[in-house]
Amino acid sequence: MTDMERPLLLKRLCAVSTLLVILLIAAIFLGVSSGSTGSGIRQTLRTLLIGPSAADPMSYTIIWQIRFPRVILAILVGGTLSLGGLVFQALLRNPLAEPFILGISSGAGIGAILGILAGLPRFPGVTATAFAGSMITLFLLFVMSSGQTLMKKDTLLLSGVMVNAFCAALITFLMSMTQDSRLHNILFWLMGDLSTADPRQVGILALALIPCFVLLFVLSNSMNLLLMGRDLAQTMGLNIKITTLTLLLVTSFMVSLTVSLCGPVGFVGLVMPHLLRLVFGPDHRVLVPACILGGGTYMVLCDLLARTLPEQGEMPAGVITAIVGVPLFIILLKRSSR
Amino acid sequence: MGTAAAARTVTDESGRHLSVPEDPRRVVSFAPSITEIIFVLGRQDRLKGVSRFSDYPPEAGQLPSVGSYIHLDVERIVASEPDLCFATKDGNPKDVVSRLAALQIPVYVVDPRNLEGVMETMLRMGDVLDAAPKAKAVVEEMRSRIDRVKALVAKAPSRPRVFFQIEISPIVSVGEQTFVNELIEMAGGTNLAKGPAPYPRFSREQVLALAPDVILVTSMARGGRFEQVREEWARWPSIPAVRHNRILMVDSNLFDRPGPRLVIALEILARLIHPELFVPDPLEKKK
Repeated sequence: MTDMERPLLLKRLCAVSTLLVILLIAAIFLGVSSGSTGSGIRQTLRTLLIGPSAADPMSYTIIWQIRFPRVILAILVGGTLSLGGLVFQALLRNPLAEPFILGISSGAGIGAILGILAGLPRFPGVTATAFAGSMITLFLLFVMSSGQTLMKKDTLLLSGVMVNAFCAALITFLMSMTQDSRLHNILFWLMGDLSTADPRQVGILALALIPCFVLLFVLSNSMNLLLMGRDLAQTMGLNIKITTLTLLLVTSFMVSLTVSLCGPVGFVGLVMPHLLRLVFGPDHRVLVPACILGGGTYMVLCDLLARTLPEQGEMPAGVITAIVGVPLFIILLKRSSR
Repeated sequence: MGTAAAARTVTDESGRHLSVPEDPRRVVSFAPSITEIIFVLGRQDRLKGVSRFSDYPPEAGQLPSVGSYIHLDVERIVASEPDLCFATKDGNPKDVVSRLAALQIPVYVVDPRNLEGVMETMLRMGDVLDAAPKAKAVVEEMRSRIDRVKALVAKAPSRPRVFFQIEISPIVSVGEQTFVNELIEMAGGTNLAKGPAPYPRFSREQVLALAPDVILVTSMARGGRFEQVREEWARWPSIPAVRHNRILMVDSNLFDRPGPRLVIALEILARLIHPELFVPDPLEKKK
């Protein structure tokens, strides 16, 4: 990087981040001020500003203990999945790559179903079996495409597709064998659901994810180099093997964590990186923070719709991310190709 | 939450210790069966929220919903400011119970395993809801109605073979660990699907081989589909139930809710399995 470039980049980074932080804060505010018991912006403002001593302890509990952890969870999940998509798209140099491409979500699905069938509680039991499932799948995938082939993007991609297909078959098999109310639990898990957000779980997740975010930001320029092609990247002094492996492991770890807790929320990892790339350009040093903030905002808004759209009960957030995400993606694609 | 009324510590049916108010005023029910019990105990004035599908008695449907049995809405539960909630051990998600506990909302978990267990649960709930005498009276009446049915079917010459169908495609019946199995046996029938699997699946071939005397279809398959099921079975006259025109529909809500109406389900079953004992109807006469 030349000295001319640095201040320019810093300026862009600040501008993009400020814009997205403002959007995120607005989304957070919307998120905590509405829910299944109705919404009131003024009421929320009062509760947020005055605190628990204000006449109404019930709405204080609802805002801080129920909605707030859920909004934070949505930010973490949306940020992680968008970032996951960004990293895999760069790593595999394939625009269709998404964070679940290596079979993480389907592996987690098998783990979660086995946990549910064993009658474990959702946390930590099912979360732990889901995490184990995704880690085992990932390990098998690496063994399958070990050595030199790991570096060849197509091998990894193809292995991932096959692992996904195999796991999907296993999931269908397990579900066809399940006959009682546990089937509902499995379905809800598989559709991606943020409703179980508990302040403690969200705290643990944040502690694990934030270092990953920072690490990926540090590696963002390496992603730029990787996209320029392996030979060029090597001559620029990049250790391709170590960089690729670090990116793969860190991303897989964080995606596994969120999937274990909330189930596979689809399309965020595909739609958000593309959208942000179209708006802010291809530089990963800008895109990494943009994905965290933008993906977080998108997920908060989708979850808000999931909570408030149905008159009775709520939809799984994964349904909304797909319904909103896919048309958005198609419109963007048409615009950009024009 | 904040209301510091007199409280006492009780142990619920899942073995958890919890502090409940001496006289709970704001109660939320997480299952239609629990709602029915609270109504029969005469404590419906304290019900501030019920789970979705709590539709019996009809007034229960007017109460605010706190989400479905399997997917409860924690926000709505908290917003109804309960001083006591009732949950079921198997149906309701455990994490909701523990989250409410963390928010200082007591949740009494019930876990009836059979008809006797339902009556014990009703007595315990009566105790917690300050309605012990009413609970005792209701349970005594249930016991005497059960005894009447038992005495009646004891005279029956045979135990008809019953196939209880709760699902159409695939065909699903009920195994040993279910209320329906107990009710069938108590009503003087033999449950053909008896076995360790709670909800076993059957192929049509298997049902043909079992040769049931009576096929009972629950209304779980709603919307005129009963006729369709009956026609499908009608193609197999080798089944005794088909030959003797004994494919009958029963109301699933009576059979799958572990509440006070199980005794009605028992009486209906006895009439359907042993119609010969009910001409003239001795249960009607005594009322």
